[in-house]
Amino acid sequence: MNRLVVDWAYFLSTSNNYQKTKRFFHNFLENDTYKYKKYFDIFMIILIFLSVAILIREVKSHVDDFWLNFSNYFVSLIFFIEYILRLWVTSSVSEIIIKNYEHDDMLDREFRLSNTFYQVIKVKLQYILSVKAIIDLLAIIPFFHQLRLLRIFVLFRVFKLFRYARSFQTFTSVLATKKFEFITLFMFSGIVIFVSSVLIYVMEANNKNSNIDTIYDAFYWSIVTISTVGYGDITPTTTSGQFVTMMVIIAGIAVLAFTTSIIVSAFDERLDEIRELKTIDGIRKIKDLYIICGYEDVAKEVAKQLLVSNNIIVLDEDIDRVNNAKKDGILALNYDPGNIDSYKKLNIDINTQVKAILCLRENDVENVYTTLTVRSISKDVYILSLLMNDIHRNKISFAGANEILYTKELVGMIAREFIGKPVAFEVIHALRSGFKNIDIDEIMVDDRILLSFATIGELNSKKYRLVVLGVYRNKHKRFFFNPIDSTILEHGDYLVVIGNKVFINEFERYLHTKIRK
Amino acid sequence: MNKISALIFGCNGYTNEIVKNIQHKYKNITIFKHSSEPKNLELERLGLEIFDFSDSWEFLSDIYDLKNSIVFCVLEDDAENIFLTISLRSIFEDLNIVALSKNKESANKLSMAGANKVIPMVQTTASIISDILEKPIVTNVLHRILYEKSDLKIAQVEVTNQKCFNGLYPSDIEWSKDHGIILLSIIHDDMSSEFIYSSKAKHHAIKDGDILVVIGYETDIKEFEKLVGGDR
Repeated sequence: MNRLVVDWAYFLSTSNNYQKTKRFFHNFLENDTYKYKKYFDIFMIILIFLSVAILIREVKSHVDDFWLNFSNYFVSLIFFIEYILRLWVTSSVSEIIIKNYEHDDMLDREFRLSNTFYQVIKVKLQYILSVKAIIDLLAIIPFFHQLRLLRIFVLFRVFKLFRYARSFQTFTSVLATKKFEFITLFMFSGIVIFVSSVLIYVMEANNKNSNIDTIYDAFYWSIVTISTVGYGDITPTTTSGQFVTMMVIIAGIAVLAFTTSIIVSAFDERLDEIRELKTIDGIRKIKDLYIICGYEDVAKEVAKQLLVSNNIIVLDEDIDRVNNAKKDGILALNYDPGNIDSYKKLNIDINTQVKAILCLRENDVENVYTTLTVRSISKDVYILSLLMNDIHRNKISFAGANEILYTKELVGMIAREFIGKPVAFEVIHALRSGFKNIDIDEIMVDDRILLSFATIGELNSKKYRLVVLGVYRNKHKRFFFNPIDSTILEHGDYLVVIGNKVFINEFERYLHTKIRK
Repeated sequence: MNKISALIFGCNGYTNEIVKNIQHKYKNITIFKHSSEPKNLELERLGLEIFDFSDSWEFLSDIYDLKNSIVFCVLEDDAENIFLTISLRSIFEDLNIVALSKNKESANKLSMAGANKVIPMVQTTASIISDILEKPIVTNVLHRILYEKSDLKIAQVEVTNQKCFNGLYPSDIEWSKDHGIILLSIIHDDMSSEFIYSSKAKHHAIKDGDILVVIGYETDIKEFEKLVGGDR
């Protein structure tokens, strides 16, 4: 028997199909980052609202058998299947068996099935007795709709919403951090309610004019009063009763204030964390992202320029700089860009989602460290790094940066150009900065353009008052200046054009629109 | 006879790079090191002049031909750079001053202080970075034209033989077909500049004294220069 169970466990843990199926259901039910989970969540939320709508409609109107059967059987069945699946994926029985077997085997002990069975039951019971699982189970109960009282359990389906809506989960997780305070509050309120109920009963129960006849009335009055609702249907008539009322009202104000302050402080303390989670959630969906590491002067200016038409995110371990980035309207996280965990937490695929990682700390040591960290995660992602001191160039290059920008060298080159051809230099500078709306841009020749145009002459750039400065042939990594009209265009070529920004955009649209007849 | 020279105020990494890039044009380079600046062994070999902000600069005109010299103010502190620029400008009206600033705010102040050309470090670096990322081909092409040794050059050509254009407007001339060059901009004799793509430039006949900014191969530019009678 033992042998059979162990063989079965090994079979399951090594079966690809079984593991794949289990992984699929685990992702489908529990993994928030799994792309199909949100559809399942929406489906379940719709079922919950339909059930509640049917329950409400049923109170005073006739409901079709179809809808009753839908709510009682179909929805319950779906919930039951979900419950069983969750129970299955929550832990692995085969793993527990194998672990125990190997443990016993190693210690040369006889494998005892009863011990393993006990552990399996314990793990599964832990799940069954969790609040979420209890709610799941109660939500299935309306299946037994013949018992009218059990119908009210439909309302437990509403509690299931906590499973599917993340904001509810956030809300409960925030309140859970103040567990101790809530227990204290509950104890205090419980004692006040108990003492005041007993007191008011003792003082009012024998008074003919009083509405308090039973201890239940006393409890009801006490709760209505302490909550500061005060319906007024039950009021004390004796002086001592009124005195107790005053005490309960004061206690009620304290309870209310305490409750409010606990909730507010809980949210206040975790607000940054909640915002961070929200930000990460948003980042996960972004494509063509630039990650800027560090937010000092140069990074700030680069972010400003890239933000116009790109998605960017700033990572910096300094909270003040992160706050500055946020003030500038940039997605920023207080993560150390030199730490692998920071990228794991972002939960993104660096190779497919990130256009480039910019190491823009004004500190070579930090930039080398960050470059190396990023390179250890991805061999292909494009890394640009700032260099502050030329003696560190080799280190950044060795760490894996694709492009290194040394600001001082830049100044030298600008100085050379300025002393040589100041006017020409100013013209190029004006061109680069889009002065008077004149711009220099590059247009990639794709298949669609090639369908309409075969040569440079056919582009008709003069119509848009553009000058084709040249063609960059990506295949040969060569730039052909001032190409003649008969130059044949190839896929992957880049046209470098100069002209009015608006006309460049129109020209690009025209190239992509025109199809040769 | 006074020396044509490049005077660099500031002794730091920027100075190293500037010296490397201008020594082909300026045989005399004088570096002025502020008394508070740290040692720079590489530059010390070139010989340094020590200066202080309280110094009087009148003596410079006795040594250097300041009209044809150039001054670089590359102190690391923006306030000091501004003070130095204003000190030099207050004495020498015609001095060509290039100054370095950290950001745009200081750049404006340096211009007000009298610098002819200001390089705002942060903005320039950021622009280059965003160009590398967003327009890699354009950046590469312009970098080659501007800074690298290639046959393709950018040149400014002064027109002294306007007759060769026969009174034609720039837009009517087939620059690339006839001359093998691309005209980018025209700087008029009043120093107002127009890109060739603007409608104003389209209706401006080329006159003597205009400066044409052109891109082309070295040989084509030389031919063109001969034609319009200007110097590069």
